[in-house]
Amino acid sequence: MANRAVPQRPNGQTPGKICQFKLVLLGESSVGKSSLVLRFVKGQFHEYQESTIGAAFLTQTIHLNDVAVKFEIWDTAGQERYHSLAPMYYRGAQAAIVVYDITNQDTFERAKNWVKELQRQATPGIVIALAGNKLDLNTMRSVQTDESQTYAYENGLLFMETSAKTSANVTEIFKAIAEKLPKNETTNTAGQGRRLVESEGANKSLSSCCK
Amino acid sequence: MTTSTFSKTDEYGFKRPDDFDYLEYEKFMTAYLNYLTRRNMEWISLMIYNPQLKRNSKLKKFVRTGIPLILRGPGWISVSGGQKLKDKYGSNTYRQMLDKPINEDVKNIILVDIPRTYPDNIYFQPNSDNQKALFRILCAFAACNPDIGYCQGLNYIAGLLLLITKNEESCFWLLRVLVENILPDYYSKTMDGVIVDIEVFSRLVKKKCPEVSKHMIALEMPWALVATKWFICLFSEVLPIETTLRVWDCLFYEGSKILFRVGLMLVKHYKHDLLACEDISSLAECFKSIVQQPFPLNCHIFIKQMFTEIGSLPMSLINDLRKQVTAERNAANKSTSKNKKV
Repeated sequence: MANRAVPQRPNGQTPGKICQFKLVLLGESSVGKSSLVLRFVKGQFHEYQESTIGAAFLTQTIHLNDVAVKFEIWDTAGQERYHSLAPMYYRGAQAAIVVYDITNQDTFERAKNWVKELQRQATPGIVIALAGNKLDLNTMRSVQTDESQTYAYENGLLFMETSAKTSANVTEIFKAIAEKLPKNETTNTAGQGRRLVESEGANKSLSSCCK
Repeated sequence: MTTSTFSKTDEYGFKRPDDFDYLEYEKFMTAYLNYLTRRNMEWISLMIYNPQLKRNSKLKKFVRTGIPLILRGPGWISVSGGQKLKDKYGSNTYRQMLDKPINEDVKNIILVDIPRTYPDNIYFQPNSDNQKALFRILCAFAACNPDIGYCQGLNYIAGLLLLITKNEESCFWLLRVLVENILPDYYSKTMDGVIVDIEVFSRLVKKKCPEVSKHMIALEMPWALVATKWFICLFSEVLPIETTLRVWDCLFYEGSKILFRVGLMLVKHYKHDLLACEDISSLAECFKSIVQQPFPLNCHIFIKQMFTEIGSLPMSLINDLRKQVTAERNAANKSTSKNKKV
């Protein structure tokens, strides 16, 4: 399992930088948070995804030019009453995906509350992406793209409509986040979770900029 | 039971993961089946003298060595005080609660979670009788506990209770006894009880395994990230199934302190693996993998050691810690609300 997290590179190529970022998924219950992660990390989709209790941890690495971006993903429980645990999950996160279900207006309202909370309480400079999931159920849509797009623009969020089922925009949203995250050490403002390492012997030598 | 060693599903209907270690399991099961046969005989003779399973020190010892599967349903009901609860409220209660209307929102969340409960288990397939029964149990529970309604996690507990007892009414009473008597305020709207107990657990780790405690702090890993599921699901969906059931045997008899023992046992046994992790990411992976190792799979040794290796863990200590943590939380809440007013 842990092997999956090891950044891969083509044979013989000089290793580039590896950046690690903590990313948290937030949003109402059953909007598809775990499904997005499962699609992104394992390329799978389950029609009935088990409900997440507490938080689940997974990692995935993507490559942007010569930089390997490793996401440490914390997937969270969506039910309202788990809210009091959320600050522990998003503490120190450099990125968040706030998910709603495009067929359910209430989940969009809940997403807005998450965005507000993150902007107020999470790591300053956190990159927030808004994901309108279940795009495959477009015919049952109740949240219009324009509405979310405008909201995202006004609040400085990345925005995409996704489908964990068809995989539409799933890798893309993570990639967009990776692109927006600062990858040079001088802009490193966040504390925990953000580490920039030279990849040879990466596991051993956390360089001084990491923490 | 023996055939299950070679099956893709276990005897409880759970699909085995692709990387399931059949060899290790067979090794364990061969020894464990012998043990179970012996224990069954001993339980039969115990039942002659104590057919009602009245609580006494001998029964407690027996429960720690595992209640035979066939006796688990009725066994849990008697040793947990479920029967007393049933006698107190009357045997009609379940029927009455099924007829009592519940909040539509609560009902909808339950409805969404039903197909998401053990979707890989062959006994919880779409529209199966078990799915329907699980829905009724959770609705009836919400009806008699409107302050709690439904908390995600209860679906896994009720689902496993149903697989073992095969009786939805027993399941309803066991769920009630767990939530109303055994676990303090875990599933309420604020989940205060579980937040307190996670902090209590972290203090117990500090006391019993100080190095691990320090290491968690150094890597900035809050216990809540790891232990929330342990406490909410009572280790179901965490530990191997046979081990979970042995834990539940003890939990129904001895109460919530068992959960701390299990957690401490895992931390203590895998101390070196945990200390070897150099960042939060490998620590998170480590916590995920240790529960699937041969040691927790080997439920008999695991349970035995959890009573011998952890040392004493009196309820008075747990209660003192709970009080202490609650008081600190209240004080902190007061000061935040004061600050907000200012």
